[in-house]
Amino acid sequence: MKLEVGYIDIRDICFADSSRLEDGVLYLDKNALSEIVLEDKNISKVEFEIAKPGDSIRITPVKDVIEPRVKVEGPGGIFPGVISKVTTVGSGKTHVLRGSAIVTTGKIVGFQEGIIDMSGPGADYTPFSKTLNLVVNMTPVEGLAQHEHEHANRMAGLRIAAYVGELGKNAVPDETRVYETPSIKEGLEKYPDLPRVAYIEMLQSQGLMHDTYVYGVDAKRTLSTIITPTELMDGAIISGNCVSACDKNTTYHHLNNPVVHDLLEKHGKELNFVGIIITNENVYLADKERSSDWTAKLAEFLSLDGAIISQEGFGNPDTDLIMNCKKVEAKGIPTCIITDEYAGRDGSSQSLADADASATAVVTGGNANELITLPKLDKVIGDLSVVDRIAGGFNGNMAEDGSITVELQAITGATNEMGFNKLSAR
Amino acid sequence: MEIIVTNNPRVRDAYSANHEIHFISGDFSCVLIAARDLIHKGFRLLTHPLSGSVKPNETPFKSILLCSGSGIDLPSLSMIENALDACRKFPIKYPEMPDAMRDDFSLIDYTLFSSAI
Repeated sequence: MKLEVGYIDIRDICFADSSRLEDGVLYLDKNALSEIVLEDKNISKVEFEIAKPGDSIRITPVKDVIEPRVKVEGPGGIFPGVISKVTTVGSGKTHVLRGSAIVTTGKIVGFQEGIIDMSGPGADYTPFSKTLNLVVNMTPVEGLAQHEHEHANRMAGLRIAAYVGELGKNAVPDETRVYETPSIKEGLEKYPDLPRVAYIEMLQSQGLMHDTYVYGVDAKRTLSTIITPTELMDGAIISGNCVSACDKNTTYHHLNNPVVHDLLEKHGKELNFVGIIITNENVYLADKERSSDWTAKLAEFLSLDGAIISQEGFGNPDTDLIMNCKKVEAKGIPTCIITDEYAGRDGSSQSLADADASATAVVTGGNANELITLPKLDKVIGDLSVVDRIAGGFNGNMAEDGSITVELQAITGATNEMGFNKLSAR
Repeated sequence: MEIIVTNNPRVRDAYSANHEIHFISGDFSCVLIAARDLIHKGFRLLTHPLSGSVKPNETPFKSILLCSGSGIDLPSLSMIENALDACRKFPIKYPEMPDAMRDDFSLIDYTLFSSAI
């Protein structure tokens, strides 16, 4: 499968009378945006704000972050099975409005997730302090049940992202890259001496606020399967997960998965990137056994020489991670796992809730329990009253000077388990 | 025989008609300890004791499904002990929790648990 991706660098973003993209500047018509959100009768009110890198702005509670993209040529449309028809995507041409993002916010439950600081020390921990953000702050109709509220919020964000992406359809890209993955047979013939490596991507799938969708299907109802790297770039996987801000994969992460991009970079040079196995993280232990059995079976079927496994979330996904790791290793295929740690505030506790002797190679996204003090910022978009209820916040964590002390787990993307973060111990 | 160990009234009320319920009047760790005791008596876990990315002791509610077996199931024992270890890392976050928030946590525990039933 071959996909040409045209990256249009967004230099600025502002509100205007009509929506358009000119010379790298996104002009957005608030009325048009409002209509798109309010077509869902479950949303009573919407406000739009712009947050740029360096602004004294805190966005919270963040639900999802989405990069605007548009399909220019080839079958299907962006976010297949959700926004576009369910046609298989990943070939043809796609435009990306690079450097911009849609950030959705809105209080779905009393405890909630996710801080993005656009400046200050917190900004270093989230990749979304570096993007030009259109923030969509939604209020539901009174009495709306939580699961309907989550659905309304998720879908509105995707509709807005698709609308903004469409503005880039006729733009001339600043950079074009071609991503191509061969079939099994082509790969074997082309790179007979290179090690065959696959990426095993684990998807959060436990229930309300803990879901991921693949071509519109709730991942908890799926068996482990194979997907191509370019399908991800067209939005085949979207996030419905709004718990555990630091290590949840937003839709933006799925579109820009760094493991996929790094493996594509090395494809045909150091290794043969065979493809991606996606597998879920369910609550029921028999589901975990079945999914990890299928993951190992597919790894063997693909005659892999190695696999990289990334996790999403904390706690019981540690068990899925270890099951995947040890079962793939038992097939004689070496693995490297990517996770993060809950090692206590002093870092001295056991990092994961599960372990196995065969898990000998691990990359960590950092310790989510570590404390950070975030100074008061001039403006809050969303609802600061939830901050002491965010995972990683705690009662009385707001000081008189307006600063807040939270664990890193409160910050969106801080310890991402795809490795999508800027900080490193190197 | 299957048994639900829970401290969540919503789970108890939804499943008491057709499931054995071991209702715990205690916090998150009390549910884990009760499940561990059942494992010592030969039960094995059917659901993961750390279901949900909401942290132990952030949410006060926990529901676990077990079934009877013969002898001690070592994977279950290892999982419940690891869950207890993880639980000790997180202090109780909201000693005085507003009712609306308590209800949200109850709902999340209920929906995650229901996805396994």
